[in-house]
Amino acid sequence: MPLINEGLTVGENLRLHGVSRRAFIKFCTATASAMALPPWMGTAMAEQLRHAPRPSVVYLSFQECTGCFESLTRSFAPTVESLIFNVISLDYDDTLMAAAGEAAEAALAEAMKDNFGKYVLVIDGSVPTGAGGAYCTSGGRSAVDTLREAAKGAAAIVCVGTCSSFGGIPFADPNPTDAWPVTAIVADKPIINVSGCPPIPEVITGTLLQFVTTGQVPDLDEHRRPKVFFGNTIHDRCYRRPFYDEGKFAKSFDDEGARNGWCLYELGCKGPTTHNACATIKWNGGTSFPIESGHGCLGCSEPGFWDKGSFYAAQSSTEWGKAGSPSPRRALELGGAAVAAGAVLGIASAGVSRSRQHQSERDES
Amino acid sequence: MSRLADIPIRIEPSVAVEPLIPVGGLGGGVVAILSELVTLLDRLVGGESPGAIDVRSLPMSPLDRTELQRALGAGEVQATLDAQGRSTIRETRVSGVWWIEHFDQQGELIAEMIEVARVPAILSSAPDEIAASARDLRARIAVACGTPMGGGNHAAHQ
Repeated sequence: MPLINEGLTVGENLRLHGVSRRAFIKFCTATASAMALPPWMGTAMAEQLRHAPRPSVVYLSFQECTGCFESLTRSFAPTVESLIFNVISLDYDDTLMAAAGEAAEAALAEAMKDNFGKYVLVIDGSVPTGAGGAYCTSGGRSAVDTLREAAKGAAAIVCVGTCSSFGGIPFADPNPTDAWPVTAIVADKPIINVSGCPPIPEVITGTLLQFVTTGQVPDLDEHRRPKVFFGNTIHDRCYRRPFYDEGKFAKSFDDEGARNGWCLYELGCKGPTTHNACATIKWNGGTSFPIESGHGCLGCSEPGFWDKGSFYAAQSSTEWGKAGSPSPRRALELGGAAVAAGAVLGIASAGVSRSRQHQSERDES
Repeated sequence: MSRLADIPIRIEPSVAVEPLIPVGGLGGGVVAILSELVTLLDRLVGGESPGAIDVRSLPMSPLDRTELQRALGAGEVQATLDAQGRSTIRETRVSGVWWIEHFDQQGELIAEMIEVARVPAILSSAPDEIAASARDLRARIAVACGTPMGGGNHAAHQ
């Protein structure tokens, strides 16, 4: 990984890498705008970060597919890559760093020692605990041990992706590796969940930037997700919402309703109970989001999305529409606060979802 | 045409200026934004910090937006910034009110602000950068004149 001049401020490092102050103000303004922060916040963030010594970020990847990292590093090509390197600089990331083996492990140990109590720990992937943690090891250490060690000196932990936030696919039934989300392993640190499979890059960058600038954990929802991004459901902000309200639904992917861009609820869209910013921030630099491309929402930013039944069945006929948590057995095993809260929220949102479904059925009959 | 008076005469203004919409004819949302701008202008005159409104955070219809732009009009200053994509910075006919659009490298609008300031922050040069530039320039002159390069500053900024 490119070495960053330790003695310089963030602004000086940025300039060395060809990112001007104005480009950085612009980037922060766009980020603040996407986060619905006060309008002066972008410039303030830029100016504060520019004069600050670079914040330290340690990025650990556990049981994951690297999709989240792809999402992050390809966010605002090509400049944000340099921003990531230089602004929220990664002291350790085994995917990007050039160092390998003992040198890489030494870099991690040094970063954690030098910045003890100050670094932001980013976790990507769930933490397998079966077979003594042997399903995921790096440098001879299990993910669970590495997480516990790294968490000790972290100012906060940002879980990037549904796997580290809620267990994700590894956690799905039958969970052969006995995988858990970070909240099940670490109890004594502020934890911010940036869920999604993968999360929207602007959401990852925005959350990290806000934390390193203000040092404050943003307002979080019941699942510890930043409210600015996860406060609304996809359905609340969906441009196809008027069709839902009118009871106009596509019944198959090639019928007249689909061609007319009607609501995808009956084709399994999980938008009504999925909290994320896809409908507003969108993907690929604001190009579109799944529903805009004609496919329902999979609910990937919600706990247990993989275990809630077919992606193509209407919510009311799947676990999404039933009271309680997706996989009752799993919920009992976990018994954590996040999942308990999830169950409560699930009941509430499922109730709303069912009442809407009944409404649409009544409208149609 | 029998008499000179029959020739229709239209008096053109010497400079073509789009007429401002009278505030009275505007929608409630637009008036609210204008009122907020007045508050921000008063604060600026009173010595407080510059203010801003995030245009994209406002629930405006395309019509509201057009009305707001016409109510503010176009002023004399337009600046284009080329930093990781284009930005346009235009002063409106209301002194101190600037309409700023930021585009990314693909030309997508990524932020749109109305800033109330003497000069928008993004336009002015920053003191630390000015100092760094002076150091760089001094070092380049030294190189050009054949004198040994002094200090680590030059190396640090390459």
